[in-house]
Amino acid sequence: MKALYHNYFKKGNDRNPVLKVLESVPIFENLTEKELSEVARLTHERTYKKDEDVFKKLSPAEGMYVILDGQVSIIDPDSETIFATLESGDFFGELALLDEEPRSASAVAKIPSRLIGFFRTDLLTLMKRSPELGNKILLNLSRVLGERLRKTNQELAKPNH
Amino acid sequence: MDPLQKIYRLLLFIIIGLLALEILPFLSSIIGMLIFSFLFTTIFLQGVDSIERYTRSRALGVFLILSTTILAGVVFIGSFISNLGSQIKLFTRKIQRDDFANSIENLSSNTREALPDFIANLIPESEKVILMAKNLMVGVFQSILSILGSAGNLFFIAFMVLIFTIILLIEYHDFKRSLVRFMPNKYLEVGLRMIYNIELQISKYLRGQILAASSVAILSILGLFILNQLGANITLAVFIGIIAGLANLIPMVGPFIGMIPAILIALMNNIGNEVALNHQIFGAIPSPFYVLDIIIMFIIVQQIDNNFITPLVVGESVGLHPMAVMLVLLIGGTLIGPLGMLFAIPVAGVLKVVITEIVFITKNSHLL
Repeated sequence: MKALYHNYFKKGNDRNPVLKVLESVPIFENLTEKELSEVARLTHERTYKKDEDVFKKLSPAEGMYVILDGQVSIIDPDSETIFATLESGDFFGELALLDEEPRSASAVAKIPSRLIGFFRTDLLTLMKRSPELGNKILLNLSRVLGERLRKTNQELAKPNH
Repeated sequence: MDPLQKIYRLLLFIIIGLLALEILPFLSSIIGMLIFSFLFTTIFLQGVDSIERYTRSRALGVFLILSTTILAGVVFIGSFISNLGSQIKLFTRKIQRDDFANSIENLSSNTREALPDFIANLIPESEKVILMAKNLMVGVFQSILSILGSAGNLFFIAFMVLIFTIILLIEYHDFKRSLVRFMPNKYLEVGLRMIYNIELQISKYLRGQILAASSVAILSILGLFILNQLGANITLAVFIGIIAGLANLIPMVGPFIGMIPAILIALMNNIGNEVALNHQIFGAIPSPFYVLDIIIMFIIVQQIDNNFITPLVVGESVGLHPMAVMLVLLIGGTLIGPLGMLFAIPVAGVLKVVITEIVFITKNSHLL
Protein backbone atom coordinates (compact mmCIF):
# COMPACT_ATOMS: atom_id res chain seq x y z
CA MET A 1 0.00 0.00 0.00
CA LYS A 2 2.83 2.31 0.89
CA ALA A 3 4.56 1.47 -2.36
CA LEU A 4 1.34 2.13 -4.28
CA TYR A 5 0.97 5.53 -2.59
CA HIS A 6 4.60 6.31 -3.27
CA ASN A 7 4.36 5.34 -6.94
CA TYR A 8 1.16 7.08 -7.80
CA PHE A 9 0.77 10.06 -5.47
CA LYS A 10 4.15 11.13 -4.19
CA LYS A 11 5.75 11.91 -7.49
CA GLY A 12 7.24 15.15 -6.21
CA ASN A 13 9.91 13.46 -4.14
CA ASP A 14 11.65 11.58 -6.93
CA ARG A 15 11.20 14.19 -9.61
CA ASN A 16 12.91 13.70 -12.95
CA PRO A 17 16.50 15.01 -12.47
CA VAL A 18 16.37 16.60 -15.94
CA LEU A 19 13.39 18.72 -14.84
CA LYS A 20 15.18 19.69 -11.65
CA VAL A 21 18.25 20.91 -13.54
CA LEU A 22 16.26 22.61 -16.30
CA GLU A 23 14.23 24.71 -13.87
CA SER A 24 17.46 26.11 -12.39
CA VAL A 25 18.56 27.42 -15.80
CA PRO A 26 17.59 31.10 -16.31
CA ILE A 27 16.53 30.37 -19.91
CA PHE A 28 13.77 28.10 -18.59
CA GLU A 29 12.75 30.42 -15.75
CA ASN A 30 9.06 31.03 -14.96
CA LEU A 31 7.97 27.93 -16.84
CA THR A 32 5.15 25.85 -15.35
CA GLU A 33 5.73 22.18 -14.51
CA LYS A 34 3.85 21.17 -17.66
CA GLU A 35 5.88 23.53 -19.84
CA LEU A 36 9.13 22.28 -18.32
CA SER A 37 8.08 18.69 -19.11
CA GLU A 38 7.35 19.75 -22.67
CA VAL A 39 10.86 21.22 -22.96
CA ALA A 40 12.37 18.12 -21.30
CA ARG A 41 10.63 15.93 -23.91
CA LEU A 42 12.55 17.75 -26.65
CA THR A 43 15.97 17.76 -25.02
CA HIS A 44 18.70 15.18 -25.62
CA GLU A 45 20.58 13.58 -22.75
CA ARG A 46 24.20 12.83 -23.69
CA THR A 47 27.09 11.15 -21.87
CA TYR A 48 30.70 12.31 -22.36
CA LYS A 49 33.90 10.56 -21.34
CA LYS A 50 36.73 12.34 -19.55
CA ASP A 51 38.52 14.76 -21.95
CA GLU A 52 35.94 14.21 -24.70
CA ASP A 53 35.09 17.28 -26.74
CA VAL A 54 31.51 18.49 -26.41
CA PHE A 55 32.25 20.79 -29.32
CA LYS A 56 35.34 22.29 -30.92
CA LYS A 57 36.16 25.92 -31.67
CA LEU A 58 34.86 26.98 -35.14
CA SER A 59 32.62 23.91 -35.46
CA PRO A 60 29.02 24.52 -36.63
CA ALA A 61 26.91 25.59 -33.65
CA GLU A 62 23.44 24.13 -33.21
CA GLY A 63 22.47 24.69 -29.60
CA MET A 64 23.14 24.90 -25.88
CA TYR A 65 24.07 22.39 -23.19
CA VAL A 66 23.09 22.16 -19.53
CA ILE A 67 25.33 20.12 -17.22
CA LEU A 68 23.30 17.41 -15.48
CA ASP A 69 26.34 16.13 -13.64
CA GLY A 70 30.09 16.39 -14.25
CA GLN A 71 32.41 19.21 -15.17
CA VAL A 72 33.01 21.01 -18.47
CA SER A 73 35.75 23.50 -19.34
CA ILE A 74 35.33 26.21 -21.93
CA ILE A 75 38.74 26.75 -23.50
CA ASP A 76 40.49 28.44 -26.37
CA PRO A 77 42.55 25.64 -27.94
CA ASP A 78 44.90 28.10 -29.68
CA SER A 79 46.05 29.96 -26.59
CA GLU A 80 45.05 27.12 -24.23
CA THR A 81 43.26 29.70 -22.07
CA ILE A 82 40.53 28.29 -19.83
CA PHE A 83 37.63 30.76 -19.88
CA ALA A 84 35.49 28.92 -17.37
CA THR A 85 34.99 25.59 -15.65
CA LEU A 86 31.31 24.78 -15.35
CA GLU A 87 29.54 22.31 -13.08
CA SER A 88 26.18 20.70 -12.50
CA GLY A 89 23.32 23.12 -13.24
CA ASP A 90 25.50 25.44 -15.38
CA PHE A 91 24.81 26.00 -19.06
CA PHE A 92 26.83 27.04 -22.11
CA GLY A 93 26.54 27.57 -25.87
CA GLU A 94 23.16 29.33 -25.61
CA LEU A 95 24.10 31.89 -28.30
CA ALA A 96 23.83 29.09 -30.87
CA LEU A 97 20.06 28.99 -30.25
CA LEU A 98 19.83 32.32 -32.03
CA ASP A 99 22.57 32.50 -34.65
CA GLU A 100 24.36 30.07 -36.92
CA GLU A 101 27.88 31.40 -36.35
CA PRO A 102 30.59 28.79 -35.59
CA ARG A 103 31.56 28.11 -31.97
CA SER A 104 33.90 30.77 -30.55
CA ALA A 105 35.57 28.36 -28.08
CA SER A 106 35.87 24.64 -27.37
CA ALA A 107 34.03 22.76 -24.61
CA VAL A 108 35.71 19.70 -23.06
CA ALA A 109 34.36 17.33 -20.40
CA LYS A 110 36.93 17.40 -17.56
CA ILE A 111 35.43 14.34 -15.87
CA PRO A 112 32.82 11.83 -17.12
CA SER A 113 29.75 14.07 -17.55
CA ARG A 114 26.08 13.92 -18.41
CA LEU A 115 24.77 16.88 -20.39
CA ILE A 116 21.36 17.92 -21.63
CA GLY A 117 21.39 19.30 -25.16
CA PHE A 118 18.74 21.80 -26.25
CA PHE A 119 19.17 22.69 -29.89
CA ARG A 120 17.96 25.35 -32.32
CA THR A 121 15.84 22.78 -34.16
CA ASP A 122 14.17 21.89 -30.82
CA LEU A 123 13.44 25.57 -30.16
CA LEU A 124 12.01 25.96 -33.68
CA THR A 125 9.82 22.87 -33.15
CA LEU A 126 8.66 24.27 -29.83
CA MET A 127 7.85 27.63 -31.40
CA LYS A 128 5.71 25.83 -33.97
CA ARG A 129 3.98 23.47 -31.57
CA SER A 130 3.61 25.82 -28.64
CA PRO A 131 4.36 29.44 -29.60
CA GLU A 132 3.51 30.76 -26.12
CA LEU A 133 6.16 28.55 -24.54
CA GLY A 134 8.60 29.31 -27.36
CA ASN A 135 8.13 33.03 -26.75
CA LYS A 136 8.73 32.62 -23.01
CA ILE A 137 12.02 30.85 -23.71
CA LEU A 138 13.05 33.46 -26.28
CA LEU A 139 12.26 36.25 -23.83
CA ASN A 140 14.32 34.54 -21.11
CA LEU A 141 17.15 34.00 -23.57
CA SER A 142 17.11 37.69 -24.55
CA ARG A 143 17.17 38.60 -20.86
CA VAL A 144 20.23 36.38 -20.26
CA LEU A 145 22.04 37.80 -23.29
CA GLY A 146 21.07 41.38 -22.36
CA GLU A 147 22.40 40.88 -18.86
CA ARG A 148 25.66 39.54 -20.23
CA LEU A 149 25.97 42.53 -22.59
CA ARG A 150 25.38 44.92 -19.70
CA LYS A 151 28.10 43.19 -17.66
CA THR A 152 30.51 43.37 -20.61
CA ASN A 153 29.76 47.08 -21.00
CA GLN A 154 30.41 47.67 -17.31
CA GLU A 155 33.70 45.75 -17.58
CA LEU A 156 34.73 47.85 -20.58
CA ALA A 157 33.76 51.07 -18.80
CA LYS A 158 36.07 50.29 -15.88
CA PRO A 159 39.07 52.71 -15.76
CA ASN A 160 41.76 50.05 -16.37
CA HIS A 161 40.24 49.19 -19.81
CA MET B 1 42.40 -0.40 -36.59
CA ASP B 2 44.80 -3.09 -37.88
CA PRO B 3 44.51 -4.33 -41.50
CA LEU B 4 43.07 -7.72 -40.53
CA GLN B 5 40.31 -6.05 -38.53
CA LYS B 6 39.59 -3.81 -41.54
CA ILE B 7 39.24 -6.88 -43.79
CA TYR B 8 36.90 -8.57 -41.28
CA ARG B 9 34.83 -5.41 -41.12
CA LEU B 10 34.65 -5.19 -44.91
CA LEU B 11 33.61 -8.86 -45.11
CA LEU B 12 30.93 -8.27 -42.50
CA PHE B 13 29.58 -5.31 -44.50
CA ILE B 14 29.55 -7.41 -47.69
CA ILE B 15 27.68 -10.26 -45.95
CA ILE B 16 25.15 -7.82 -44.44
CA GLY B 17 24.75 -6.17 -47.86
CA LEU B 18 24.14 -9.51 -49.62
CA LEU B 19 21.67 -10.58 -46.93
CA ALA B 20 19.87 -7.26 -47.27
CA LEU B 21 19.66 -7.76 -51.05
CA GLU B 22 18.17 -11.25 -50.48
CA ILE B 23 15.66 -10.07 -47.91
CA LEU B 24 14.78 -6.80 -49.69
CA PRO B 25 12.21 -8.25 -52.12
CA PHE B 26 10.26 -9.70 -49.18
CA LEU B 27 10.44 -6.45 -47.29
CA SER B 28 9.83 -4.18 -50.28
CA SER B 29 6.06 -3.93 -49.74
CA ILE B 30 6.57 -3.06 -46.06
CA ILE B 31 9.27 -0.54 -46.99
CA GLY B 32 6.89 0.93 -49.59
CA MET B 33 4.14 1.24 -46.96
CA LEU B 34 6.57 2.92 -44.56
CA ILE B 35 7.70 5.37 -47.26
CA PHE B 36 4.08 6.29 -47.98
CA SER B 37 3.34 6.63 -44.26
CA PHE B 38 6.39 8.86 -43.85
CA LEU B 39 5.28 11.04 -46.76
CA PHE B 40 1.74 11.35 -45.36
CA THR B 41 3.25 12.12 -41.95
CA THR B 42 5.32 14.92 -43.49
CA ILE B 43 2.24 16.32 -45.24
CA PHE B 44 0.05 16.24 -42.13
CA LEU B 45 2.68 17.00 -39.48
CA GLN B 46 2.27 20.75 -39.54
CA GLY B 47 -1.52 20.47 -39.38
CA VAL B 48 -1.31 18.11 -36.40
CA ASP B 49 1.20 20.41 -34.67
CA SER B 50 -1.14 23.38 -35.23
CA ILE B 51 -4.20 21.57 -33.83
CA GLU B 52 -2.13 20.35 -30.88
CA ARG B 53 -1.25 24.00 -30.20
CA TYR B 54 -4.95 24.86 -29.70
CA THR B 55 -6.37 21.66 -28.24
CA ARG B 56 -3.29 20.62 -26.23
CA SER B 57 -3.97 17.07 -27.44
CA ARG B 58 -1.88 15.50 -30.18
CA ALA B 59 -4.14 12.47 -30.53
CA LEU B 60 -7.14 14.75 -31.20
CA GLY B 61 -5.12 16.58 -33.85
CA VAL B 62 -4.20 13.31 -35.57
CA PHE B 63 -7.83 12.12 -35.38
CA LEU B 64 -9.26 15.36 -36.81
CA ILE B 65 -6.75 15.64 -39.67
CA LEU B 66 -6.89 11.98 -40.71
CA SER B 67 -10.67 11.56 -40.39
CA THR B 68 -11.27 14.67 -42.53
CA THR B 69 -8.82 13.43 -45.17
CA ILE B 70 -10.26 9.90 -45.20
CA LEU B 71 -13.83 11.25 -45.42
CA ALA B 72 -12.89 13.49 -48.35
CA GLY B 73 -11.10 10.57 -50.05
CA VAL B 74 -14.04 8.18 -49.56
CA VAL B 75 -16.54 10.75 -50.89
CA PHE B 76 -14.30 11.44 -53.91
CA ILE B 77 -13.58 7.79 -54.79
CA GLY B 78 -17.18 6.71 -54.10
CA SER B 79 -18.79 9.34 -56.29
CA PHE B 80 -16.10 8.87 -58.95
CA ILE B 81 -16.77 5.12 -59.18
CA SER B 82 -20.55 5.59 -59.32
CA ASN B 83 -20.27 8.33 -61.96
CA LEU B 84 -17.77 6.33 -63.99
CA GLY B 85 -20.07 3.29 -63.77
CA SER B 86 -23.01 5.16 -65.29
CA GLN B 87 -20.69 6.68 -67.91
CA ILE B 88 -19.46 3.20 -68.91
CA LYS B 89 -23.04 1.89 -69.01
CA LEU B 90 -24.08 4.72 -71.34
CA PHE B 91 -21.09 4.13 -73.55
CA THR B 92 -21.55 0.36 -73.86
CA ARG B 93 -25.15 1.00 -74.90
CA LYS B 94 -23.86 3.48 -77.47
CA ILE B 95 -21.29 1.13 -79.05
CA GLN B 96 -23.91 -1.58 -79.45
CA ARG B 97 -25.76 0.74 -81.81
CA ASP B 98 -24.91 1.08 -85.49
CA ASP B 99 -24.09 4.78 -85.32
CA PHE B 100 -20.85 3.92 -83.48
CA ALA B 101 -19.72 1.98 -86.57
CA ASN B 102 -20.95 4.83 -88.80
CA SER B 103 -19.13 7.38 -86.72
CA ILE B 104 -15.84 5.49 -86.91
CA GLU B 105 -16.35 5.00 -90.65
CA ASN B 106 -16.98 8.74 -91.07
CA LEU B 107 -13.90 9.58 -89.06
CA SER B 108 -11.81 7.17 -91.12
CA SER B 109 -13.05 8.49 -94.47
CA ASN B 110 -12.78 12.15 -93.36
CA THR B 111 -9.19 11.58 -92.32
CA ARG B 112 -8.41 9.80 -95.61
CA GLU B 113 -9.81 12.74 -97.57
CA ALA B 114 -7.88 15.29 -95.54
CA LEU B 115 -4.52 13.57 -95.89
CA PRO B 116 -2.30 13.12 -98.96
CA ASP B 117 -2.77 9.77 -100.73
CA PHE B 118 0.49 8.15 -99.70
CA ILE B 119 -0.31 8.67 -95.98
CA ALA B 120 -4.04 7.93 -96.42
CA ASN B 121 -3.17 4.51 -97.83
CA LEU B 122 -1.43 3.71 -94.57
CA ILE B 123 -4.72 4.13 -92.64
CA PRO B 124 -6.47 0.74 -92.36
CA GLU B 125 -9.94 0.00 -93.75
CA SER B 126 -12.86 1.24 -91.65
CA GLU B 127 -13.86 -2.33 -90.57
CA LYS B 128 -10.40 -2.85 -89.19
CA VAL B 129 -10.53 0.55 -87.43
CA ILE B 130 -13.89 -0.35 -85.85
CA LEU B 131 -12.48 -3.65 -84.65
CA MET B 132 -9.38 -1.94 -83.30
CA ALA B 133 -11.45 0.74 -81.54
CA LYS B 134 -13.74 -1.87 -79.99
CA ASN B 135 -10.74 -3.93 -78.83
CA LEU B 136 -9.11 -0.82 -77.41
CA MET B 137 -12.24 0.14 -75.47
CA VAL B 138 -12.67 -3.43 -74.17
CA GLY B 139 -9.00 -3.34 -73.10
CA VAL B 140 -9.47 -0.03 -71.24
CA PHE B 141 -12.54 -1.33 -69.37
CA GLN B 142 -10.83 -4.61 -68.55
CA SER B 143 -7.91 -2.73 -67.00
CA ILE B 144 -10.33 -0.59 -64.97
CA LEU B 145 -12.07 -3.77 -63.78
CA SER B 146 -8.77 -5.43 -62.87
CA ILE B 147 -7.78 -2.36 -60.85
CA LEU B 148 -11.12 -2.53 -59.03
CA GLY B 149 -10.58 -6.30 -58.58
CA SER B 150 -7.35 -5.70 -56.73
CA ALA B 151 -9.18 -3.28 -54.42
CA GLY B 152 -9.07 -5.89 -51.63
CA ASN B 153 -5.29 -5.89 -51.63
CA LEU B 154 -5.27 -2.09 -51.96
CA PHE B 155 -7.59 -1.82 -48.98
CA PHE B 156 -5.17 -3.85 -46.85
CA ILE B 157 -2.21 -1.69 -47.95
CA ALA B 158 -4.20 1.51 -47.30
CA PHE B 159 -5.17 0.23 -43.85
CA MET B 160 -1.56 -0.57 -42.95
CA VAL B 161 -0.37 2.82 -44.28
CA LEU B 162 -3.07 4.47 -42.14
CA ILE B 163 -1.92 2.62 -39.00
CA PHE B 164 1.75 3.49 -39.65
CA THR B 165 0.80 7.12 -40.33
CA ILE B 166 -1.18 7.40 -37.08
CA ILE B 167 1.73 5.98 -35.06
CA LEU B 168 4.28 8.18 -36.84
CA LEU B 169 2.17 11.33 -36.43
CA ILE B 170 1.57 10.75 -32.72
CA GLU B 171 5.10 9.68 -31.89
CA TYR B 172 6.99 11.71 -34.52
CA HIS B 173 8.98 13.97 -32.18
CA ASP B 174 9.79 11.08 -29.82
CA PHE B 175 10.91 8.92 -32.75
CA LYS B 176 13.24 11.68 -33.86
CA ARG B 177 14.67 11.94 -30.36
CA SER B 178 15.26 8.18 -30.25
CA LEU B 179 17.05 8.39 -33.59
CA VAL B 180 19.30 11.16 -32.28
CA ARG B 181 20.17 8.99 -29.24
CA PHE B 182 22.10 6.60 -31.53
CA MET B 183 24.26 9.36 -32.99
CA PRO B 184 27.87 9.56 -31.74
CA ASN B 185 28.60 12.75 -29.75
CA LYS B 186 31.00 13.87 -32.45
CA TYR B 187 28.30 14.03 -35.12
CA LEU B 188 25.41 15.12 -32.87
CA GLU B 189 25.09 18.73 -33.99
CA VAL B 190 25.81 18.05 -37.67
CA GLY B 191 23.36 15.12 -37.56
CA LEU B 192 20.63 17.29 -36.04
CA ARG B 193 21.18 19.89 -38.72
CA MET B 194 20.98 17.20 -41.40
CA ILE B 195 17.68 15.81 -40.03
CA TYR B 196 16.24 19.32 -39.84
CA ASN B 197 17.31 20.15 -43.41
CA ILE B 198 15.91 16.87 -44.75
CA GLU B 199 12.58 17.52 -43.01
CA LEU B 200 12.53 21.06 -44.36
CA GLN B 201 13.36 19.89 -47.88
CA ILE B 202 10.65 17.22 -47.97
CA SER B 203 7.92 19.30 -46.38
CA LYS B 204 8.69 22.32 -48.59
CA TYR B 205 8.60 20.12 -51.69
CA LEU B 206 5.43 18.28 -50.70
CA ARG B 207 3.49 21.37 -49.68
CA GLY B 208 4.57 23.15 -52.86
CA GLN B 209 3.55 20.19 -54.97
CA ILE B 210 0.16 19.90 -53.27
CA LEU B 211 -0.51 23.61 -53.83
CA ALA B 212 0.58 23.34 -57.47
CA ALA B 213 -1.55 20.20 -57.96
CA SER B 214 -4.59 21.93 -56.45
CA SER B 215 -4.18 24.92 -58.72
CA VAL B 216 -3.76 22.68 -61.79
CA ALA B 217 -6.93 20.83 -60.76
CA ILE B 218 -8.91 24.08 -60.39
CA LEU B 219 -7.56 25.51 -63.68
CA SER B 220 -8.32 22.24 -65.52
CA ILE B 221 -11.90 22.20 -64.17
CA LEU B 222 -12.31 25.82 -65.31
CA GLY B 223 -10.86 24.98 -68.72
CA LEU B 224 -13.13 21.97 -69.15
CA PHE B 225 -16.10 24.11 -68.09
CA ILE B 226 -15.21 26.65 -70.80
CA LEU B 227 -14.85 23.85 -73.40
CA ASN B 228 -18.25 22.50 -72.33
CA GLN B 229 -19.73 25.95 -72.93
CA LEU B 230 -18.36 25.65 -76.48
CA GLY B 231 -20.14 22.30 -76.85
CA ALA B 232 -17.40 19.78 -75.95
CA ASN B 233 -19.79 17.71 -73.78
CA ILE B 234 -17.11 16.49 -71.33
CA THR B 235 -18.81 15.02 -68.29
CA LEU B 236 -17.03 14.23 -64.97
CA ALA B 237 -15.12 17.51 -65.37
CA VAL B 238 -14.45 17.82 -61.61
CA PHE B 239 -13.01 14.31 -61.45
CA ILE B 240 -10.92 14.82 -64.58
CA GLY B 241 -9.59 18.07 -63.10
CA ILE B 242 -8.64 16.35 -59.84
CA ILE B 243 -6.98 13.47 -61.73
CA ALA B 244 -5.04 16.02 -63.82
CA GLY B 245 -3.96 17.76 -60.59
CA LEU B 246 -2.83 14.47 -59.05
CA ALA B 247 -1.03 13.42 -62.25
CA ASN B 248 0.74 16.76 -62.10
CA LEU B 249 2.62 15.44 -59.04
CA ILE B 250 4.73 13.44 -61.50
CA PRO B 251 6.88 16.11 -63.14
CA MET B 252 7.08 16.38 -66.93
CA VAL B 253 5.06 13.22 -67.75
CA GLY B 254 2.15 13.95 -65.41
CA PRO B 255 0.48 16.69 -67.48
CA PHE B 256 0.17 14.30 -70.45
CA ILE B 257 -1.35 11.61 -68.23
CA GLY B 258 -3.85 14.25 -67.07
CA MET B 259 -5.09 14.78 -70.65
CA ILE B 260 -5.96 11.12 -71.26
CA PRO B 261 -9.19 10.84 -69.19
CA ALA B 262 -10.49 14.10 -70.70
CA ILE B 263 -9.85 12.86 -74.26
CA LEU B 264 -11.37 9.44 -73.47
CA ILE B 265 -14.54 10.97 -71.98
CA ALA B 266 -14.85 13.40 -74.92
CA LEU B 267 -14.58 10.45 -77.34
CA MET B 268 -17.07 8.37 -75.35
CA ASN B 269 -19.63 11.17 -75.14
CA ASN B 270 -19.30 12.52 -78.66
CA ILE B 271 -19.08 9.38 -80.78
CA GLY B 272 -22.00 9.41 -83.20
CA ASN B 273 -22.27 13.19 -82.98
CA GLU B 274 -21.68 14.66 -86.44
CA VAL B 275 -21.13 18.22 -85.13
CA ALA B 276 -18.43 17.07 -82.71
CA LEU B 277 -16.83 14.96 -85.41
CA ASN B 278 -16.54 17.87 -87.81
CA HIS B 279 -15.60 20.42 -85.11
CA GLN B 280 -12.92 22.91 -86.13
CA ILE B 281 -10.97 25.36 -83.99
CA PHE B 282 -11.66 28.93 -85.23
CA GLY B 283 -13.43 27.29 -88.17
CA ALA B 284 -10.08 26.37 -89.71
CA ILE B 285 -8.15 23.69 -87.78
CA PRO B 286 -9.96 20.32 -87.65
CA SER B 287 -10.36 19.02 -84.11
CA PRO B 288 -12.61 15.94 -84.20
CA PHE B 289 -14.37 15.27 -80.88
CA TYR B 290 -12.68 18.41 -79.45
CA VAL B 291 -9.45 16.41 -78.97
CA LEU B 292 -7.19 19.24 -80.11
CA ASP B 293 -9.17 21.74 -77.97
CA ILE B 294 -8.56 19.56 -74.93
CA ILE B 295 -4.85 19.21 -75.70
CA ILE B 296 -4.48 22.99 -76.17
CA MET B 297 -6.45 23.66 -72.97
CA PHE B 298 -4.16 21.38 -70.95
CA ILE B 299 -1.06 22.93 -72.54
CA ILE B 300 -2.33 26.39 -71.52
CA VAL B 301 -2.97 25.12 -67.96
CA GLN B 302 0.55 23.66 -67.90
CA GLN B 303 2.07 26.90 -69.11
CA ILE B 304 0.22 28.88 -66.40
CA ASP B 305 1.37 26.30 -63.84
CA ASN B 306 4.99 26.20 -65.00
CA ASN B 307 5.45 29.93 -65.44
CA PHE B 308 3.36 31.44 -62.66
CA ILE B 309 2.12 28.98 -60.05
CA THR B 310 5.03 26.57 -59.58
CA PRO B 311 7.73 29.27 -59.35
CA LEU B 312 5.54 31.04 -56.81
CA VAL B 313 4.56 28.13 -54.55
CA VAL B 314 7.31 25.56 -55.10
CA GLY B 315 10.14 27.92 -56.03
CA GLU B 316 13.50 26.30 -56.01
CA SER B 317 12.28 23.88 -53.39
CA VAL B 318 14.78 21.15 -54.17
CA GLY B 319 17.28 23.33 -55.98
CA LEU B 320 18.05 20.75 -58.66
CA HIS B 321 19.17 21.67 -62.17
CA PRO B 322 16.46 20.90 -64.83
CA MET B 323 18.87 18.45 -66.46
CA ALA B 324 19.33 16.67 -63.12
CA VAL B 325 15.52 16.61 -62.68
CA MET B 326 15.12 14.84 -66.05
CA LEU B 327 17.90 12.38 -65.27
CA VAL B 328 16.51 11.61 -61.82
CA LEU B 329 13.03 11.10 -63.30
CA LEU B 330 14.39 8.69 -65.90
CA ILE B 331 16.25 6.70 -63.25
CA GLY B 332 13.18 6.61 -60.95
CA GLY B 333 10.90 5.62 -63.82
CA THR B 334 13.24 2.86 -65.04
CA LEU B 335 13.76 1.42 -61.56
CA ILE B 336 10.25 1.46 -60.09
CA GLY B 337 7.94 2.84 -62.80
CA PRO B 338 5.40 5.65 -62.24
CA LEU B 339 5.84 5.46 -58.45
CA GLY B 340 9.56 5.90 -58.95
CA MET B 341 8.87 9.05 -60.95
CA LEU B 342 6.61 10.36 -58.21
CA PHE B 343 9.28 9.90 -55.54
CA ALA B 344 12.33 10.63 -57.69
CA ILE B 345 12.51 14.38 -57.02
CA PRO B 346 12.01 14.36 -53.23
CA VAL B 347 14.43 11.42 -52.89
CA ALA B 348 16.99 13.32 -54.99
CA GLY B 349 16.39 16.38 -52.80
CA VAL B 350 17.07 14.34 -49.66
CA LEU B 351 20.19 12.79 -51.21
CA LYS B 352 21.38 16.29 -52.09
CA VAL B 353 21.05 17.38 -48.43
CA VAL B 354 22.81 14.21 -47.21
CA ILE B 355 25.66 14.58 -49.73
CA THR B 356 26.06 18.29 -48.89
CA GLU B 357 26.34 17.43 -45.18
CA ILE B 358 28.75 14.54 -45.83
CA VAL B 359 30.95 16.83 -47.95
CA PHE B 360 30.81 19.40 -45.15
CA ILE B 361 31.76 16.77 -42.55
CA THR B 362 34.65 15.49 -44.70
CA LYS B 363 35.94 19.01 -45.31
CA ASN B 364 35.61 20.05 -41.67
CA SER B 365 36.41 16.74 -39.98
CA HIS B 366 39.10 18.47 -37.90
CA LEU B 367 36.35 20.60 -36.35
CA LEU B 368 34.19 17.68 -35.20
